[in-house]
Amino acid sequence: MVTGFLTVVVVWCLLYGRMPMMILLPLCLGLGAALPLLGRHGSGQFLTIDVLAQTSRLNRVSPLLKFWTVLVLMVLCVSATSPAVGLFLTVLMLILTVCGGGLALHDYIHLLALPLSFLLLGGLALLLEVTAQKTGVLGVPVFGFWLCVSQAAQTRAMLVMGRALGSLSCLYMLSLTTPMSDLIGVLRRIRCPEVLIDLMYLIYRYIFILLSMYHAMRDAAASRLGFVDYRTGMRTTGNLYFGLLFRSYRQASRNFDAMESRCFDSGIRFLEDAGKMKKAHGLASAVLILMTLGLSILFW
Amino acid sequence: MKYTRAEKNVLALSCMFAVFLMSEKTVHAMHIMEGYLPLAHCAVWDAVCLPFLAAGLIRIRKTLNQNRRLLILLAMSGAFVFVISSLKIPSVTGSCSHMTGTGLAAILFGPMVAGVLAVIVLIFQALLLAHGGLTTLGANTFSMGIIGPVLTWLLYMAGRKLKMNRKASVFLAAAMGDLLTYCVTSLQLAAAYPDQTGGMAASAVRFLGVFAPTQLPLAVVEGLLTVLIVIGMEQFAEPELREISFLEAK
Repeated sequence: MVTGFLTVVVVWCLLYGRMPMMILLPLCLGLGAALPLLGRHGSGQFLTIDVLAQTSRLNRVSPLLKFWTVLVLMVLCVSATSPAVGLFLTVLMLILTVCGGGLALHDYIHLLALPLSFLLLGGLALLLEVTAQKTGVLGVPVFGFWLCVSQAAQTRAMLVMGRALGSLSCLYMLSLTTPMSDLIGVLRRIRCPEVLIDLMYLIYRYIFILLSMYHAMRDAAASRLGFVDYRTGMRTTGNLYFGLLFRSYRQASRNFDAMESRCFDSGIRFLEDAGKMKKAHGLASAVLILMTLGLSILFW
Repeated sequence: MKYTRAEKNVLALSCMFAVFLMSEKTVHAMHIMEGYLPLAHCAVWDAVCLPFLAAGLIRIRKTLNQNRRLLILLAMSGAFVFVISSLKIPSVTGSCSHMTGTGLAAILFGPMVAGVLAVIVLIFQALLLAHGGLTTLGANTFSMGIIGPVLTWLLYMAGRKLKMNRKASVFLAAAMGDLLTYCVTSLQLAAAYPDQTGGMAASAVRFLGVFAPTQLPLAVVEGLLTVLIVIGMEQFAEPELREISFLEAK
């Protein structure tokens, strides 16, 4: 709801004076309404992205290929000098993740809405300037000052938001189609230090242990009025975090004993059954990159 | 001064905005989001982080050669930092906010190791929660994983040298580290997007102002929670803490 409202205001400020009112008004309202209408309300799951990545149809595509493609596309998107590249990538990645990966559109929009609200606030901060007199294309008086939107600010905000939206979509495309263990495998393949890889594997696995531990402890605390007012809430939170750390350290000690009793000496290896590189996939990603490159040169 | 009806509406709207800016979604306030910085800035921040991370990794490898058990403890701590930095904590403004948790890691393991844990946590946050991003990884690592923990550690060490009250020094160290993180984030944004009329300084003031209402109380909360955790650990988890050499001074 808030995001929808923000969208209307920001799009209005962005495009005001750049197109006829007859087009601008429906565009603003349409985009604003699209978010709350299409989004799905709180599935309540904590690491939704991880769950969706495991079930994506694209998770058999070679993670190495996806990783490099997304990285190159991101660099192209961030270095582009026109918002068109970002918008192109946004649409493309939406199609790829939703149609290619078999993700529900509702889920995608819902996931996008969260970072989007920050993006919109950031865009607003770039758009609005506080001045003594009315300048620029759009001005609003507030307590003796003017909140103004100038043409230069419009151009800059459009560029920044286009870039952010584009690279955010690329990031989502990667994280929504590739399980984390495959991505860590990619990091091993590109020769990241072994210690870092081991740590990442373990941290990723421990996150889930800690989360379930935390939820159990928080529910127990809440059912004993642990969050009844602010003071108690603070103390409970402190105790919860300490209890979590304490129990997790005990758990870590036990885990290590178990590993040592099974002859652990160094290095942790898991079975990697990520997809192999296929010619068609390689070709598709090359086409993607060339299209984006062409677009960014075209709009330089 | 009389307002017309349209002006009144606009006034009400702008007031609503002010409220939104202060209370909405502080979730992402600490991290610079994906694609928000120009490429040159990303590259610079990445480069700045590299020596610190390399030093941290070498340090970790050396410690692990002496004591393998620490690998698991480090991993648990990393997971812990991820979990607490993505959970809501009660916040004064009524909105939800999050700890950074890297101050705690710096107090327990020293700033270099905290930096390595922070970069892993940031990668996971970008991929699993879409907080922060891959292109802005360097900038976020620098503010949250390097400069903040370094200050926290320095203050904590100074407190120990000066024989300050333990609780007070932990609180001060964690809160100041958190504040510095937020200041550096604002400066990074300001450097990338200087004000058209006032230049970088004016822009820095603006970004600081936008974040201040949520980040100032958050620093206090972070300090308090860190104290609670550290004191609790000291009382109940001494063997583990001795292993990570937190209590060696005793």
